[in-house]
Amino acid sequence: MIKSGTFKSLLRRHKNVLHFCQLSSAAQPQSDPKSHSFRTDENDPLKHTLDHVGQYYRVPQNECKVYLYGGLPKSYEIQTKTFNETCLMVRKPSVDIINCLKGLDYTKPAVRFVLFGKKGSGKSLTMAHVLHYAQKAGFLLVHVPWLGNWMRNPKELSSSETREGFYDLNLDAAAWLVHFKSQNEHLLSAPELKTTREHVWSKRESTPKDSSLLELIDHGINRLKYASECVLALAEELKQLTKAGNCKTLVAIDGFNAFFYPKTRVFKEKKEVVPPNKITLTEAFLSLTKFDWNNAAIVVTVDEIAIAEEDHKSHFPRYLLGKEGFEHLDPFVPVFVDAYSPKELTSCMDYYRERKWVRYFPQQDEELASLSAYNPYKLMKLCISL
Amino acid sequence: MLSFSRKIDKTAFRALEKHLILAYSTSSEPQREEEFRVLNLKHVKGQTVQRRSVRKAEIQPPRTTQMPVDQDWGNVWPGPRSFHPATVPLPIRQGYTPTGVAPGKYANAELMKIPNFLHLTPPVIKRQCEALKKFCTPWPKALDSDEKCERFFPLEVASSDYCHSSPTIRDPLARIVSVKFKLGVLGLEGRAKDKFLRLVGERYDEQTDIVTIVTDRCPLKKQNYDYAMYLITALYHESLNVEPWEELKSEADMEVYIWENNASKTSIEALFGKEAKEIENVEQYSQAVVRYMNEGENQYTVEQYGDAVRKILNLPPVPR
Repeated sequence: MIKSGTFKSLLRRHKNVLHFCQLSSAAQPQSDPKSHSFRTDENDPLKHTLDHVGQYYRVPQNECKVYLYGGLPKSYEIQTKTFNETCLMVRKPSVDIINCLKGLDYTKPAVRFVLFGKKGSGKSLTMAHVLHYAQKAGFLLVHVPWLGNWMRNPKELSSSETREGFYDLNLDAAAWLVHFKSQNEHLLSAPELKTTREHVWSKRESTPKDSSLLELIDHGINRLKYASECVLALAEELKQLTKAGNCKTLVAIDGFNAFFYPKTRVFKEKKEVVPPNKITLTEAFLSLTKFDWNNAAIVVTVDEIAIAEEDHKSHFPRYLLGKEGFEHLDPFVPVFVDAYSPKELTSCMDYYRERKWVRYFPQQDEELASLSAYNPYKLMKLCISL
Repeated sequence: MLSFSRKIDKTAFRALEKHLILAYSTSSEPQREEEFRVLNLKHVKGQTVQRRSVRKAEIQPPRTTQMPVDQDWGNVWPGPRSFHPATVPLPIRQGYTPTGVAPGKYANAELMKIPNFLHLTPPVIKRQCEALKKFCTPWPKALDSDEKCERFFPLEVASSDYCHSSPTIRDPLARIVSVKFKLGVLGLEGRAKDKFLRLVGERYDEQTDIVTIVTDRCPLKKQNYDYAMYLITALYHESLNVEPWEELKSEADMEVYIWENNASKTSIEALFGKEAKEIENVEQYSQAVVRYMNEGENQYTVEQYGDAVRKILNLPPVPR
């Protein structure tokens, strides 16, 4: 009797050890295609189809740092750090856009896609997936991670030297130039990406014609004073080069409706509000989202969170963009990002369980589904404490 | 010694006193009538007034108890009158008590407050109609359907006459004239119709297409009728009239979104580099935009718009 008792306790201890081993190994990336239908082995977004909807794929760590920098929402980024891997769910809107991008006729004017949906339904992550695809497909990325950072939380404001009544956000512009450079490092060194005209910054400083785009960008980064001007020049050059067929460009702007929302939190010295159309950066990106160039595609999101809280009334594009914004983008392809489908929710919960992030209990998925109303963000928040 | 002498004094005094009182009482006997009368407010004793006994009216039993079953109700209750429990042979209850049943019909103010139609029972109405029949003219035979009535007599004029016993035979309410007609019979189109609707405002009912004009500002019915006719004429001609400032109406003043006047058309023309008419599937697209703008934003209109854009730009449809 005593013997068998000790044996049992030994076994239990051994089990615990086994369990512990599993836990520690869970943090390591692993893939077992047979047992995990919530995961796909297809980590290449070029090959994602509707069959992969609801499945997670892994973004390599190095790519994630470069291409999706700032593209993931903060809370999701923290979670990826906890999980020790960046996984994105393949969802219908992103597959839809990728499918459209594959079949686009790039000799025709640029097509605009507008992602819209309720708060926390996964617009930014859909965009991240599209970005990953675009990077793989060899697009030059013009990516603004979150427009709210400029319009609602600017670093610094100075009046423009070249334009009367306009204002520069030079620190933000320079930060964006760094981001743009790191995202497109491998493409920018191509010899055909040269400036089409001379850019004169001041009496002594200028970027001559036929210098590489990298030089132009570096000038903006090194001479903060000209950062906003440099973004304008870069936008113009990119349009020219893309039109000429030297590169394919994908413009991705998150929170695009902030460009048309008059009540920004950019203040002059006397606390007067600067409307977005008086900010030089706006001009550059509005020019990039027009349809008057080809070889390019434009994906933007309209988000309630990009505007002041008192105006969170509707998540539809016409309301968020306003008349002016709608006319600017029209005709655009609205892409609705819905809440999770039951299949996606199960897949998400399976993923969390595999990561040992939530512990299983019976009827867990049903309860969480009704508590979160299938909203991805709410589900993530609910699972933090489980 | 001292106390003893005092005692003697006392007894002597008392004897004297007694004697004196006796003497006084005997001497005051004839002066009694002149005694000062005391005012006694507490108890006034006087003659009690004889109370008249209240003669109670003799209460008749309720009339309902003596009513024959086959009586003519129109004669019992000939005109409008507030409820009377003894006349109405119905076991009616009305009102509310927190405990128990609703109060009965006797001494029930609630029943007297509400208007009743006991004077307008179906046989009475029938009898009154029969009596009025000899004053009526026959209905025109040709007007055998509602459509014909509406076509030949598009105008409907209504006013009221009042007849009751009062010192004056005039009732101020008799002056009010209301005129109704269908807007369709005026034959107004587009701009003129829009102007007419703006002029009449809330007098137009969209569901039935009827315009109602009520005039009551003149003292007489005839005057009000003439004024209503004048108003209709003025409204008609004014809405056909184009004022110079009406030409200044811009896009922002439009009550509905018209695709042809908007930036949407110019941008799609610029996108394709040709006239809107020559673009394929432009019809569906323009309709989708118009519906999107006019019906307001919802999941359905956005989806329709998206489908139209995908079609015009030759993109694959949304995966369902």
